[in-house]
Amino acid sequence: MNIRSKAWKLLMVGGLGASLLAGCGGSDEAANSAEKVTVSKEGFPIVETPIKLTMMAPDVGIQNWEDMVVLQEMAKKSNVSFEYKNAPKESFDTKKNLVFASEDYPDVFYAAGLTPSEQLKYGEQGVLIPLEGLIDEYAPNFKALLDEYPDVRKSITAPDGHIYSLPVVEFSQHWYRNPMWYNGEFLEALGIDKLPETTEELYDYLKRVKEEDPNGNGKADEIPISSVTTSAANVRDIRTWLLGAFGIYEEEIYVDDSDVVHYTPVEEGYKQYLEYMNRLWTDGLLDPESFSQTGEQKKAKGQNNQLGLFSDWHAYMTKGGEPSDKDPMFLPVRSEYVDKAAIAKNRGITTGAFAITKTNPYPEASMRWVDYLYSYEGALLFNKGPEGTLWEYENEADRTKKALPVPGGGDSEEYRSTLTPNYGIPAPTVSMDDITKGLKNDFDLWVEKETKTKLLDNGARAPFPALFLTVEEQSEINSLNSDLSTYVKQMEAKFITGAEPISGWDAYVETLNKMGANRVKEINQAAYDRWKAS
Amino acid sequence: MITAIQESKGDKVFLICTYIYLSVALLIVLYPLIYILSASISSPQAVNSGQMWLFPKDVTWAGYELVFNNPKIWNGYLNTIIYTLVGTLLNLAVTLPAAYALSRSDFFGRGWFMAFILLTMFFSGGLVPTYLVVKNLGLIDTMGALILPAAASVWNIVVARTFFQSAIPKELQEAAHIDGCTNLKLFWRIVLPLSAPIIAVMALFYGVGHWNSYFPSLIYLNSEDKYPLQMVLRQILVLQEMSAETTGAAISGDIAQAMNSKAETASLIKYGVIVVSTLPIIAVYPFLQRYFVQGVMVGSVKG
Repeated sequence: MNIRSKAWKLLMVGGLGASLLAGCGGSDEAANSAEKVTVSKEGFPIVETPIKLTMMAPDVGIQNWEDMVVLQEMAKKSNVSFEYKNAPKESFDTKKNLVFASEDYPDVFYAAGLTPSEQLKYGEQGVLIPLEGLIDEYAPNFKALLDEYPDVRKSITAPDGHIYSLPVVEFSQHWYRNPMWYNGEFLEALGIDKLPETTEELYDYLKRVKEEDPNGNGKADEIPISSVTTSAANVRDIRTWLLGAFGIYEEEIYVDDSDVVHYTPVEEGYKQYLEYMNRLWTDGLLDPESFSQTGEQKKAKGQNNQLGLFSDWHAYMTKGGEPSDKDPMFLPVRSEYVDKAAIAKNRGITTGAFAITKTNPYPEASMRWVDYLYSYEGALLFNKGPEGTLWEYENEADRTKKALPVPGGGDSEEYRSTLTPNYGIPAPTVSMDDITKGLKNDFDLWVEKETKTKLLDNGARAPFPALFLTVEEQSEINSLNSDLSTYVKQMEAKFITGAEPISGWDAYVETLNKMGANRVKEINQAAYDRWKAS
Repeated sequence: MITAIQESKGDKVFLICTYIYLSVALLIVLYPLIYILSASISSPQAVNSGQMWLFPKDVTWAGYELVFNNPKIWNGYLNTIIYTLVGTLLNLAVTLPAAYALSRSDFFGRGWFMAFILLTMFFSGGLVPTYLVVKNLGLIDTMGALILPAAASVWNIVVARTFFQSAIPKELQEAAHIDGCTNLKLFWRIVLPLSAPIIAVMALFYGVGHWNSYFPSLIYLNSEDKYPLQMVLRQILVLQEMSAETTGAAISGDIAQAMNSKAETASLIKYGVIVVSTLPIIAVYPFLQRYFVQGVMVGSVKG
């Protein structure tokens, strides 16, 4: 290589200069000098003179937040605009911890998914400010919501009596986990017109799927029931539903009808569940790859029309093709040990969606801003975008809407994701039926009907309320759980695959109790009693 | 073919064994590359169900179409090229002089400086303190945050220093000095022109590092228009992983739908993105390879 010294010099100097220039861009961190602004208590604009705050939020990577029509409109309306400090959704927690650790706080957190322990810890340190006073003064919509649903207030109030974050309130979404779906073609091929109601009937269906070639390709390639295992849990997507057959609402902690808290892995019903799963495994009805495959691999089997029963948000997402009402939702089955299946329902409250930090110079204005998202108009704007883009009113008085053709063609959900931040993240808002009035298609209505007749009418309820543990309780639970959950996960797989005979159950329970299973139950019981009494 | 000397039986066996061994090694190395290439033009269903295992099946160009129509990927590409070029030039501008200075035995306090520099290799400041330094320098959310803190790598300085020590004879430097050459001129005119291998190796080390790095951008950047390609890539791939993870949990319909459509796109384009993003490195590597072998070896052999 023949290096001419002059060229090298130029290159080096150029490189150095460029990097210096690049470095200079960001040194203008605006120190917000908080001038007094008058915050109007109702109507828009919220403030007379425009103000600018910083917002930290997770981003699904579709559209820059500055360019989102909904946020622009909101800024115009309210005179409150934001500088967005986004981090990609999948690494948001890393960034969030860094921000807290380095005391580089944004003015507000949006859709941040602050855990109860984060709320409590940073609330007690004074980093997140208490919101209850602001809610009374500046959040008429949210306050009305709290008055209407006292449980929401119970769930967002920390043990020290303060409210540090606003929740996602979503009472129209009932599923605790993705439902399971039957393969409609298999049901038809096997001539089944009544869905299984007991674990035995379910077993018979699965057995027939395996043996009678319902997909009609002449090969015994049917997989009666398939599942995936993630780092968090084994076969989680199907076990919530199968556990219900043995009277258990949830895989870890649930409360029964007489206010007693249970720790699932030591319950008798859990043992019966393991026995049942072991039977499915030994008879080749449970997909042998359930403990190793990825979601994609499972979906590929669905698209090959091999699966008899599987879990997904909607059946067509696994089977491919268009949404169809041919694949019925799983009707929770019951075993001979219980009178009726336990069915878990989404509790509808996710805390930690919005918080205000101590560096925020305008907490009142911030509260008014977010309060709008808990009103019908605000929730509608942030959920569906402004009127005239994807929808318009057919009858504004009773809030009936109709869908408009997607600008430029294409998928309306995809287009919606470029309008509003509330796409794929737990944003502070309330969902109500009026928002989607008139916008639901036949498939949505069918799913709603299935949900109602199969889950809600059969006594679905939330397994455990959203509640706070104190800082000490939380740290004790965390340290206990880190050992417990690994052991439980290992043993569950062993029991199901038969690597450990079910006769080892007593020794297993004893080990769990030695590892502090009782303590986990006690702590949650205490927290539940507090919640109940508040 | 007629050879002057007949090969003995043993030689023949040896030769055959060698060929078999090398073929196997070649297969092992080549298979993943072919797999990725084939997967990038096969339908995701065929890939996921394991029907596609070597040659493309159900050929579709939809993945590449999505990649080429995705402005984020191109913006990320541009950013990565900027980070790699500017970053690598800065790295060279810092590393080579530092390494050369440290290689000179007449450099006062050499051992002391070296010890200090080496210390940082074994004990780093940690994530949060580093973040605080970058923040207080006003570099958060600037391109500089990805380039300046990574300007020097101790390991590379040590490698370059060893090269200078062993490859540039001290006598040459003395001769130059006697002829009236200043230190700076000596470095420019004599040392650098003789150090092509190490420059190439350093450029490759640093360049590949910049090309593949995503963690600093995750930590220091807030705005998407500054994201490098690997960050965009990560967003696409990890979201797909997450969809399997979270669709089990109690989430809203909105999130599930979003995840599902993300996952579909991701499974379609992931292999295409891998091909597009690694191609430049693979293309550059053969040209630098001869320096690469030479340069790394030089550090270890003393003559």
